[in-house]
Amino acid sequence: MKRAILAMVPAVGILLAACGSTSNTPASSPAAGFTIPTPPAANLIGAGSTFDYPFFNAAFYAYNQKFSDVTVNYQSIGSGGGIQQLTKKTVDFGASDVPLKTSEADAMGGADAVVQIPVTLGAVSLAYNLQGVGNGQLKLTPDLIAGIFLGSITTWNDPAITAVNSGLSLPSQPINVVHRSDASGTTYIFTDYLSNVSPEWKTKIGVGKSVSWKTGGGQKGNEAVAAYIKQTPGAIGYVELAYVVQTNMTQARLKNADGNFVLPSAAGATAAAAAKPNVTPTDFSIVNAPGKDSAPIAGYSWAMLYKDQTDKTKGQATVDLLYWLISPDGQQYAANLNYAKLPDNIAKADVATLKTVTSGGTALLTVS
Amino acid sequence: MSQATAEPRVRPPLVTTGRQRRWLHGDQLFRGLAVASGVLLLLVSAIFLLALFIPALPSITRFGLPFLWGRDWDAVHLRFGALPFIYGTVVTSAIGMLIAFPVGLGAALFLAEESRLNWIRAPLSFAVELLAGIPSVVIGLWALFILTPIMRDDVEPFLNHLFGFLPFFQPPFSGTSFLTAGIVLAIMVLPILIALSRDVIRAVPRSLQEASLALGATRAETTWSVVLPYARVGITGAVLLALGRALGETIAVTMVIGNTPQITSRLFAQGYTLASVIANEFTEAVGPILQGVLFEIGLVLVLITIVVNVIARLMVWQFTKPEGR
Repeated sequence: MKRAILAMVPAVGILLAACGSTSNTPASSPAAGFTIPTPPAANLIGAGSTFDYPFFNAAFYAYNQKFSDVTVNYQSIGSGGGIQQLTKKTVDFGASDVPLKTSEADAMGGADAVVQIPVTLGAVSLAYNLQGVGNGQLKLTPDLIAGIFLGSITTWNDPAITAVNSGLSLPSQPINVVHRSDASGTTYIFTDYLSNVSPEWKTKIGVGKSVSWKTGGGQKGNEAVAAYIKQTPGAIGYVELAYVVQTNMTQARLKNADGNFVLPSAAGATAAAAAKPNVTPTDFSIVNAPGKDSAPIAGYSWAMLYKDQTDKTKGQATVDLLYWLISPDGQQYAANLNYAKLPDNIAKADVATLKTVTSGGTALLTVS
Repeated sequence: MSQATAEPRVRPPLVTTGRQRRWLHGDQLFRGLAVASGVLLLLVSAIFLLALFIPALPSITRFGLPFLWGRDWDAVHLRFGALPFIYGTVVTSAIGMLIAFPVGLGAALFLAEESRLNWIRAPLSFAVELLAGIPSVVIGLWALFILTPIMRDDVEPFLNHLFGFLPFFQPPFSGTSFLTAGIVLAIMVLPILIALSRDVIRAVPRSLQEASLALGATRAETTWSVVLPYARVGITGAVLLALGRALGETIAVTMVIGNTPQITSRLFAQGYTLASVIANEFTEAVGPILQGVLFEIGLVLVLITIVVNVIARLMVWQFTKPEGR
């Protein structure tokens, strides 16, 4: 909720800026390796992921400050909604926490008809409410996380937990598991992680935005999960990192693939992403990534648009916008809001992908 | 109400003057409009059901009737069943009505009857209208942040202490539960129940009550055997409207029920309702199967509402027939 409030601040700014009637001052600020092109005047509409919304809201406001001829209206209606809107061609671009499935891509005219690029990166934390156990004091291994969410570890002083947390005095309280009840990209990343580290999870439950939970209760949205944990003694749940940081929740150190216990962070997510140089819409999972600092539960969020743009001006403006979004200039707004920066190699790959977008046979992105 | 249609229609006398002819035209025009409105309402209902049925077809053909008593809800392996949601919807609404009905009827009687304590009547009426105006998401927020901890730490342990021998009141205490959702529903339907019942009770002819009092009945006896029987049809209507709201209430219930599809006699356990699962899953439901399942859930919810209404109407007829009114 706090995040939503933060995200509203730029919206107020837009109104103020509109009153000031700023003259059109296109400026291409030089950013490492990126030359920001001046876009044509356009009103763009995007829709999709709620995860991306605070980032997009701040970034698109800044873009409008830079290029006042371009306004972007982003509707955070959920990844699935974004995919549907793009399929019906009612939006210029969509955003999703998970790339298109084959059936979804087919509905848009096949995987070759759509361009998908990672635009930002987030980490997922395990937040808990335990009397006397502060932030980062609880340590969790992949086996413990799987055990707790499968319902096989049910009390906080279970020998399996105390063995890892030798210095802590854990209560004999039951573990109160909470998960997302609404279908979400956060759940996708978390179940992707559990399927990666636990064969039992993979066969019994699997990966998805909405899965058949074996234990615990559900709450709708990151805010409600966070609220539930904060007011329920003995609760544990997975929450997007940004919510954890902004609402000062206590989160566990997680054992990553290299065996280090790390506190999930934006830098940790970037480190995890950097460990996988080639990301494609069919091979994109970065959970349990190697690297000593890697955050174990992390994932990309994607923007998607048609490869062949029928409206040249809008296509041009969309491509220019996304190019700026992945440049360091655009990515700084992600960092301010506890999203992770895209690693350089991924940003470079994104640029190459964006260059394949055409209108009437000519490429729209003309930067070198 | 229903007797009115049975009475012979009074027609104006045969046409003689232009003025009367105009009246006749007006009469026919009005009749046409009234019939058209009725037909339109039927048409809208039919279109509405069809609009639910068609998108639900992929799910209906794939899962068939067992969907209604299936207990799985697994979007990964595409196994779906509606029973835990039907159970949750019916149980939470039943709890809500069990709590709201006596309270609502009592408040309505108090508000309708003129007596002493007039100073409290105006603020109470105002409070009822205020309660009716609170958006359900606000009630949900209040319930999640204030009511849930109280339920978990005080109410549920207390009920367990008193009625622990019953299967309904077994621990663990979770706060988000069937019971909490039922209480929230009770709060939400109270204004409808009170406002409608109050007006019905006020409409009971004064002469009937005075006659009863004159025969030597006490106020309580008059209320019990004159006012309530007379107002029964209207009160049932109020209950039906309230029940309709309880069955379909979405966001406030979603926030306090725990969203866990399970069937258990424990009222302290977390559950799920038909409306909640639609709200939770719809934004990310892509593809005909997933959407179809949610549309079918919607269809089931509409059917349950219809069935509950029919049962309630049958009950009213059963009650009112012998008295020959």
